[in-house]
Amino acid sequence: MSSRCRSAAVGAGMLALLAVGACTQGAGGSERPVRGRSMPAADSTSRAAGVNPGIHPAVVLGELRNPYTGDRSAIATGQMLFNAMNCAGCHSGYAGGGMGPSLRDSTWIYGNSDAQIYSTIVEGRPNGMPAWGGKLPEEQIWKIIAYLRTLGTSNEPVKPPKPAYTVYQPPK
Amino acid sequence: MLATAACAGPAPRRAEAEPPHRPSPDSSLIDQPGAPQPGEWTLPGRDYAGTRYSPLDQITAANAGNLRLAWSFSTGFARGFEGQPLVVAGMMYVVTPYPNKVFAIDLSRPGGPLRWSYTPPTDPASQGEACCDVVNRGASYGDGKIVFNRLDNVTVALDAKTGRVAWQTTLGDIAKGETMTMAPLIVGNRVFVGNSGGEMGVRGWITALDLGSGKVLWQATHTGPDLDVKIGPRFKPAYDWLKGKDRGVSSWPGEQWKIGGGTVWGWVTYDPELDLLFYGNGNPGVWNPDLRPGDNLWTTAIFARDPATGEAVWAYPTTPHDSWDYDAINENIPLDLTIGGRPRKVLLQMGRTGYVYLLDRQTGQVISATPFEHVNWSSGVDLKTGRPQVAKDKETHEGVNTTGICPAATGAKDQQPAAFSFRTKLIYSPATNLCMDYKGTSVGYIAGTPYVGAEVMMYPGPGGNRGEFIAWDPVAARKVWAIPERFPVWTGALVTGGDVAFYGTMEGWFKAVDARNGKVLWQLKTGSGTLGNPITYLGPDGKQYVAVYSGVGGWSGAVALGLDTTDPTGALGFVNGMKDLPSYSQPGGTVYVFALP
Repeated sequence: MSSRCRSAAVGAGMLALLAVGACTQGAGGSERPVRGRSMPAADSTSRAAGVNPGIHPAVVLGELRNPYTGDRSAIATGQMLFNAMNCAGCHSGYAGGGMGPSLRDSTWIYGNSDAQIYSTIVEGRPNGMPAWGGKLPEEQIWKIIAYLRTLGTSNEPVKPPKPAYTVYQPPK
Repeated sequence: MLATAACAGPAPRRAEAEPPHRPSPDSSLIDQPGAPQPGEWTLPGRDYAGTRYSPLDQITAANAGNLRLAWSFSTGFARGFEGQPLVVAGMMYVVTPYPNKVFAIDLSRPGGPLRWSYTPPTDPASQGEACCDVVNRGASYGDGKIVFNRLDNVTVALDAKTGRVAWQTTLGDIAKGETMTMAPLIVGNRVFVGNSGGEMGVRGWITALDLGSGKVLWQATHTGPDLDVKIGPRFKPAYDWLKGKDRGVSSWPGEQWKIGGGTVWGWVTYDPELDLLFYGNGNPGVWNPDLRPGDNLWTTAIFARDPATGEAVWAYPTTPHDSWDYDAINENIPLDLTIGGRPRKVLLQMGRTGYVYLLDRQTGQVISATPFEHVNWSSGVDLKTGRPQVAKDKETHEGVNTTGICPAATGAKDQQPAAFSFRTKLIYSPATNLCMDYKGTSVGYIAGTPYVGAEVMMYPGPGGNRGEFIAWDPVAARKVWAIPERFPVWTGALVTGGDVAFYGTMEGWFKAVDARNGKVLWQLKTGSGTLGNPITYLGPDGKQYVAVYSGVGGWSGAVALGLDTTDPTGALGFVNGMKDLPSYSQPGGTVYVFALP
């Protein structure tokens, strides 16, 4: 937890306050593992992220909005980063999920606001999501989020492929 | 070792010609080294050879139709439930998927109340390092201890009576992408374990621990210098291309071997007569083969080692420079068979590659490799060189979408283990009939994150049924019968002295079939898809019971845990092949136990 918080604190200045807060409370032992995809963690991290009753990050940090939402060039860069930074490794190439949950569907375990997704990426989450704060610049994180917002829509820059066969038939 | 049972008798006759089952009072006396009392199940595959054969014969083809639910137990963990329970001295031991909780169920009391349970402090972050759901393949029992692996790389020994930790040994690091999912094998005072993480740029290893103390006795890696691989004077591979110094370095570009895979997440077996340990290891890292020109030794290889020292005696890589994810981790069953009129000490593996490999277990030489499902990535194995004859148009490369490769990366069978009957002399095996498109993609290594570099999509193979349960004659090298299934069969097999074989489906049907002819005798729909390996035991009441886990998930059932089917490449391409699974099966995590009235 401490290294995750450290890297989070190194990350975007806007969220530094939030990250330190989560760190302090996490170290206090309130964090506990939560299994499955649908149950939000009843810990300080997710409370800070506004999943449970408590202070929504937007209240602390002001209105936090993705400056790149809908920006075509940023979305294309976000798609490229999603693969290059290995988000695709866990969430699959078109974000339908695998080791990590699907990001194409409407379920956001840790909240679906820009601020919540941003803090999830920066801080990581206890059930396997690594902390990317300090590894990805703020601007790149926003571009990835801009890409995630297009999944399953007509603005998705690279659509999922179709397999060559429905049922494989060997050549005669 | 299994000579009396496996060598005797003619090849199996057709089912119709079989006489009705007669109880065989001597069936419990069959030479099954490592097997416990007839009514118990103490090792993952029941005996050292991993035959998953039990001599119990109260349940027969004649009465199996009367089987019914005896009791069930919900574990509270609804993830892919692989592996099998153990039964020792009137107790059943269950290890769950992450967080790897252990339940000790008292079989002597009605309804099976808990004697104890143990929840380890498994690191929740380990869930993010597990490629294919947070599975666990079970425990082994020895010297009063239940030994299992935690997902976060701790091997734990619990006192079987009290559940207290006898010792625990940390063997890996989730920050490097390592996890542990396999079931340990205990032989004498040694425990053999290995790591998982072939999709994470892990360097694979097998380790021996002292059963009394948990102290590491030896460790051998599967890439790198001979010293690390424990290749020395005793190592005598069967083929010239496997000879030479430090091939675990020179068969890789640069330092790629350091993140080269070859993990040990399947099964370990043992032959006491030759005093050799057998196991296979996983795919080379990374899946994109263009990033690692060379044979990528010693990955996708079957190994024979000295259990005392770890020294390698021989190794046989089934897919040098693998470009399809055909891990060689499936169980290796030592059998003594008469092949072409000669008694042979055989090691049998139902391979992911789609071939049944018969190796000479003294030398590692291939006796035969016969397809048991549709195979087109190669035309066979060259018996002179031992190398697969690869079809050029099914090789995979970066930026090229190679289509219609059979079997898919899942293999024609994955880790879910086969069984061997000492009575019918047949192998009973789950099988998968999926093919795939596979495109290598560029990828960089970031420690603790996936290192795959491939876009894969799977779909049903010829005929459309995605799986089957088969009986295979290892001497005649042919399929004797098959039961087609809608989905890949992802449970292991069990076969008994009553000539009844058991398996389950991903819809959740648990089936008893006549081992002689494949006739389905009985089936019951469990609450979730079954991925566990059935076992059988005698209860304290003297009755025969059959137990299996029900809980969909794992790699094959990942889509039922909530993945999005509009991304056909999800779960490394398995999602496309299983889009309809959620209509049949939802998550669960229950132990089911069946018996005759």
